[in-house]
Amino acid sequence: MITITNLKRIAIAAILIALTGCVSVTKVDSGDRAVGERLQLHLDGAWNQINAPSVVGPNCQSWTMEGLTVDQILVYSGLKNDEPIHYQAGGSSEKKVFKFHSNMQPEQIVALYEGMLTRDGSTFTLKKLEPAMFGGVKGFHFEYTLVRKTDNVQISGTGSGAVSKGELFAIVYQAPQLVFYPRHQARVAHIIQSARLKA
Amino acid sequence: MRRRQFLAAACAASAGLAPGPGRAEDAWVMPPRMERPDVATDEGGLWALMDREEAKLRRSPFAIRDAELRSYVQEIICRLAGDHCPDVRVYLVRNRYFNANMAPNGMMQVWSGLMLRVDNEAQLAAVLGHEIGHYLQRHSIDTFRDARSRSAFGVFLGMFGVIGLVGQLASVAGAFANSRGNELQADRIGLSLMSKAGYDPAEAAKVWENLLLEAKANPAGDPTKNSPMFATHPPMADRKDTLAQLAAALPRGVTNEKTWQEKTAPYRREWLNEEVKRGQFEESIALLSRLMQRSPEQPDFVCARADVYRMRSSDTDLNAALADYQAAIALGGEPPEAHRGMGMIYRQRDQPAETKKSFTRYLQLAPEAPDSAMIKNYLEELGA
Repeated sequence: MITITNLKRIAIAAILIALTGCVSVTKVDSGDRAVGERLQLHLDGAWNQINAPSVVGPNCQSWTMEGLTVDQILVYSGLKNDEPIHYQAGGSSEKKVFKFHSNMQPEQIVALYEGMLTRDGSTFTLKKLEPAMFGGVKGFHFEYTLVRKTDNVQISGTGSGAVSKGELFAIVYQAPQLVFYPRHQARVAHIIQSARLKA
Repeated sequence: MRRRQFLAAACAASAGLAPGPGRAEDAWVMPPRMERPDVATDEGGLWALMDREEAKLRRSPFAIRDAELRSYVQEIICRLAGDHCPDVRVYLVRNRYFNANMAPNGMMQVWSGLMLRVDNEAQLAAVLGHEIGHYLQRHSIDTFRDARSRSAFGVFLGMFGVIGLVGQLASVAGAFANSRGNELQADRIGLSLMSKAGYDPAEAAKVWENLLLEAKANPAGDPTKNSPMFATHPPMADRKDTLAQLAAALPRGVTNEKTWQEKTAPYRREWLNEEVKRGQFEESIALLSRLMQRSPEQPDFVCARADVYRMRSSDTDLNAALADYQAAIALGGEPPEAHRGMGMIYRQRDQPAETKKSFTRYLQLAPEAPDSAMIKNYLEELGA
C-alpha cells in the first residue's frame, strides 16, 4: 500500500539525492565577515553556509543554524538591477521570476519577497513595514508570518535592507514560529545591527 | 454498495455517457449510496489513506473555518448529490488557484481561487457536480488501479514535482488524475445534476469560457494544452463547446448570482489580494477586467486591477493604475489601499501635494495598517 508518508519520504529522498551532487556546506566563522564586495557583518557565533546554485543566486548567501528546512538567513549583497531574488527553477508550476529593480521602493521590495515565498501557495502576512537604517544608510525593516504550504508550519520572519547605488543589500531571516524563531532572533538582530556598507 | 447494483449503474451510465454527440445524461442513473469498502481491499486502503488526509485538512491553517459559508456550499452539494449528500463533506480551502477536487471517501475541497472566479451558484454547481460525477463513478479507484498496474509510481511523483511536495493539501485528492474520458463523463454528469437541481445548465460552459479568457491572456496559452499538470484534461475550448451544446437541450434554470455574491462578499478583498500577489499580471488583468464588467458598481475589482498595473509598471501601466484607483474612489466604498497605491505613484512621480493627500487619506482609513510607519515617514519627508 502506497501511503502519503511513504511518498513524502521518497520525494524528500529524491530531492536530497538530486541536491547532494551540487551542494556543499561550509562554516561561517564568528567575527567580522565580508559578504560580497561592499557588505561587512559581525557574527557573534558560527553559522552554516549552504553553497548551492540551485538555492541562491550569485549575489546572495544562504545561512542556517538548524538546517535549511528549519531556519534560514538570506544575505543579499549587491543584487543588481533586473537580477532575480531567488534561484530560477522554483517549486511552482508558474514560471514567474521575481526580479529586483533599482528604482523599487521598500514596499515593492517586500512585495517581491512575498511573491517569492508564496510561489508554492504558502500564505504571507505582512505584520510591519517601517523605515530603518541598514548598513549606515536609510533603509527599511519588515516583519511577517508565513504558513508554509508544504507542511502547514507557521513561520515567522524578519528582514532589513537598503538600496545603495542601485544595488540591494538585505538580510532576511525566517524560522518556525514556536521554537526556532525566538531561539536565534536576537543573534540575527545583532547581525543586522552590525551591517556596514562600504561606499 | 453491492457489486451487482454498481455494475447495473455503471452499465446504465456507460450507455448514456459515452463521449460524442448526444443529449445530456438523461439515461444516466444515479447509483445508490456506497458502503465503506473493506479495509483489506485496495479501495478500502485508499479510503483509509484519504481519511488520514481529511483529518489533516480539518486541522490545516489553510482551511476556511466559516461555518456559514461552508454550510451554504454544503447545501448546494446536497441539492446536486441527492441521496449521497450525507457522504460528501466539503472543505473550503484558502488557495488562490482555480480548483475543486473530491476524494473517493467523500472529502471534497473547494479552493478560494475557484470561489473568486465563479459568478454565481450555478457555475459553482457545475464544478461541484463534475466532482460529484467523479465520485459517483468511482473514477479515482479506476485511476489508482491503472497507475498501480502500470507501476506508474513515477507519474505520481512527477505530478507532485509539478505542484509541490507530496502531502500538500492541494495535491492529495487530486493526485489520482482522471483520464480524459472520465473528465468528459464527469462533465456530463455534472451538467445533468445541476440541471436536475434547478440550476441553469448554460452556466457550465461559461466556467470554461471564463477560464479560457485568462488562459488566452497568459503568454504561455491554454494550460490544458501545454502543461503536464493538465495532461489528462481535455482542452478548455472543447469542454466549453461540448457543455454549451448539451446545455442547449436542457431547460433553463436559476443562477442565484445575488446570493452567491452576498455570501462570498466578506472574503472578496482577501481573495483578490491573493490573486494580485500571484504575480501573473496578464491573467489577473483578464480576470479582473471580466469581474469589473460583471459588477461595474464594485470598487474592489477596480482597485485590484490598479494594483496589478502598478506592480507590473510597464509602459503606460502607471497611468492605467491611476485611472483605476480614481475610478474605484469615484464608486465609493473603496479599499484604503486605493489611496496608498495612488500615493505611491505620485511619490514616484515627485508630485508632493497629491502624494500627501493620498497617503493622509490612507492613514485615515487604515491607521493600524502594517505599513503605517513607513507611510508616516514618507509624509514626514514631505513636511506634513
